[in-house]
Amino acid sequence: MGSPCEVLCETDDPRLAKRIGNFARGEARRVDLKYSRYQPGSVVNAIHASHGKRYRVDDETARLLDFGAALWRLSERAFDLTSGVLRYAWSFDQGKVRSDISRIPELLKRIGWDRVGWQPADIILPEGMEIDFGGIGKEYAVDRVADWVGSQTKCPVLINFGGDLRCVGAPPASGAWQVGIESIENFGKATKRIELTSGALATSGDARRHIEIDGKRYGHIFDARTGWPVANAPRSITVAAPTCSQAGSYSTLAMLQGEGAEAFLDAEDARYWCLR
Amino acid sequence: MQLKKPISGPLAAAACSLLGALPSAPVVAQEAGDWDIDTSLLYYGESDGRVTDVSLDVGVRRALDEDRAFNFNLTVDSLTGATPNGAVPSNTLQTFTGASGNKSYTIQPGEQALDPTFLDTRVALSAGWQQPIGEFTRWNVGFSSSNEYDYLHLGVNTRFERDFNLNNTTDYVGLAYAQDDIEPVGGAPIGLSPMLAERDDGDDDDGDGGNFRGGGDQSKDVFDGLIGVTQLLGRRDLIEVSYTYGQSDGYLTDPYKILSVVDPVTGVPVAGPVGGTPYLYLWEHRPDSRTKQTGFVEWRHAFDRDSLALSARYMTDDWGVDSQTVETRYRWNINEHSYLEPHLRWYTQSAADFYRTVLFDGDQLPEYASADQRLADFDAYTVGAKYGRRTDYGEFSLRVEYYRQEGDPSPGSAVGDLAGFELLPPLTAYIVQFGYKFRL
Repeated sequence: MGSPCEVLCETDDPRLAKRIGNFARGEARRVDLKYSRYQPGSVVNAIHASHGKRYRVDDETARLLDFGAALWRLSERAFDLTSGVLRYAWSFDQGKVRSDISRIPELLKRIGWDRVGWQPADIILPEGMEIDFGGIGKEYAVDRVADWVGSQTKCPVLINFGGDLRCVGAPPASGAWQVGIESIENFGKATKRIELTSGALATSGDARRHIEIDGKRYGHIFDARTGWPVANAPRSITVAAPTCSQAGSYSTLAMLQGEGAEAFLDAEDARYWCLR
Repeated sequence: MQLKKPISGPLAAAACSLLGALPSAPVVAQEAGDWDIDTSLLYYGESDGRVTDVSLDVGVRRALDEDRAFNFNLTVDSLTGATPNGAVPSNTLQTFTGASGNKSYTIQPGEQALDPTFLDTRVALSAGWQQPIGEFTRWNVGFSSSNEYDYLHLGVNTRFERDFNLNNTTDYVGLAYAQDDIEPVGGAPIGLSPMLAERDDGDDDDGDGGNFRGGGDQSKDVFDGLIGVTQLLGRRDLIEVSYTYGQSDGYLTDPYKILSVVDPVTGVPVAGPVGGTPYLYLWEHRPDSRTKQTGFVEWRHAFDRDSLALSARYMTDDWGVDSQTVETRYRWNINEHSYLEPHLRWYTQSAADFYRTVLFDGDQLPEYASADQRLADFDAYTVGAKYGRRTDYGEFSLRVEYYRQEGDPSPGSAVGDLAGFELLPPLTAYIVQFGYKFRL
């Protein structure tokens, strides 16, 4: 998952804790291996290797592609599963930003869900285009683990994959899970504390990765229509929703609104915390 | 860009297709409050009509982030009742002069000499700031003050804490300095001078007693230095060891306490001087410097459900007072919402070198003398329990404790008549405290 994953479990049964931990680790690894472009045997690599020919995906992949397609529509094409190629123009490496703006027009021709032939469960990905589940895979894995945990035990469990998290029950002592939102000035320190009793929290934005061009501040979320990072977006958006997939979608889509992130979330009547 | 219509419905539908189902429970998340407020109302009542204290305490803590926090505390004490003035009982009526010189009180034969004019309101304010320095070091700085009608305390304190050894060890060093101004009613008495008789009100136009007793206003400086270490011992145990060095300089005498002067054979109080009380009482007098050293060790253990704390404290000072305290608390977590915490404390101390029950007529006057029972040889224990309950609105608690202090009721100085009296009567007190803490 590229980030620390943890499961907190309040139980006095060590075997149950171990079983939950093992399942969570297994599921995180499975989703990672299946959908990472860095994994040779992944579905993503198989799709890329189809060279524009029809490729039949399994049911789980089909559901993820459907979800990505829905976000593409709901974001009015700003979110796009095929926007991963923008990494050839922009890269954030160890706090340093490299950009090669001249490549953007060419890359934009390789982006666009409407160019993909998608008739579940067959996908036709034109040559040169790429699929990237990075924006939805981690949240999906959290939800998978949470649903399984809910079917196994009544004891309170919190599944946290790199800051995107969902709880199953709440610890009785305090009545809620205490979740810190990382400060944008003080890395590793919490600036706000959220008491999560039920549902999920997902955070978008990374204060450590941003760029400034002509005095404008850009985050690390790209608008697939322009190939540029979104300007004037909050530095961090945390959204609460029943599932981690919904919370993550909200935080990403809000980030894509830039200046209007808060107005968007207000109109959605969402529970959120923005840091600017 | 602004999306045209709310997406929550279609997004929920998409998530439902992805996951197969959506949880039935709605999301419940709220931002935790930044203000922690801790309030308590305490009643402390001593037996036999002695001191009663009703104390209201409000503590506020505002965390700015994980490491930075500001705290503020206000305590208001209302003290009433009577306090021993230091004189021993006698077979005759005893008349004492109030500190201001224009009020006297009489104690019946055989009764403990209690000064009934003890009445006070104390207001104490303190504030502190905690700030990290780097990743593993914290710095605290604070100030404290308290004010009574005859007493003003102002203090500053600071403390550094450092985590190391993978956060298994924390060591700390602290410094505190306080300056206290004492403005006794009637002025501070001259040490070991006789208590004067009640005087005519006309002498004192402003009614405050002026400097009736000659010693005027006084002050003292108190310096404390602290070093300590907290060490985790495995998953369940924690041990803390600390050492405190305290140095007080200035006026350390209690300006309202006296000693009886009695006949060395009969134990009968001797007659007072001209212009003095009917019997002779001398104002107490203590050294103007005191050095205290305190060693403290505490062990805390977490059981599966409950926890236990056990501590011992040893204090020694250059007044000859050595004390030991052993204290334990067991926290019994009855269920998810409530706990019961029994508390036991045992304390013993030796008397100060200059502690005297009485002074004998004809003996050479010592340099220092005090009959204050707090400087006597005594043992004390506290038995109590605290019950706490968490609710949606905060945590309520009730603490009830019983305190008993016993000294040697008939020390060697109990000559003649004095042998028939309890010179150091036991003291019992009850403490009832109601607490409520919540977050805003």
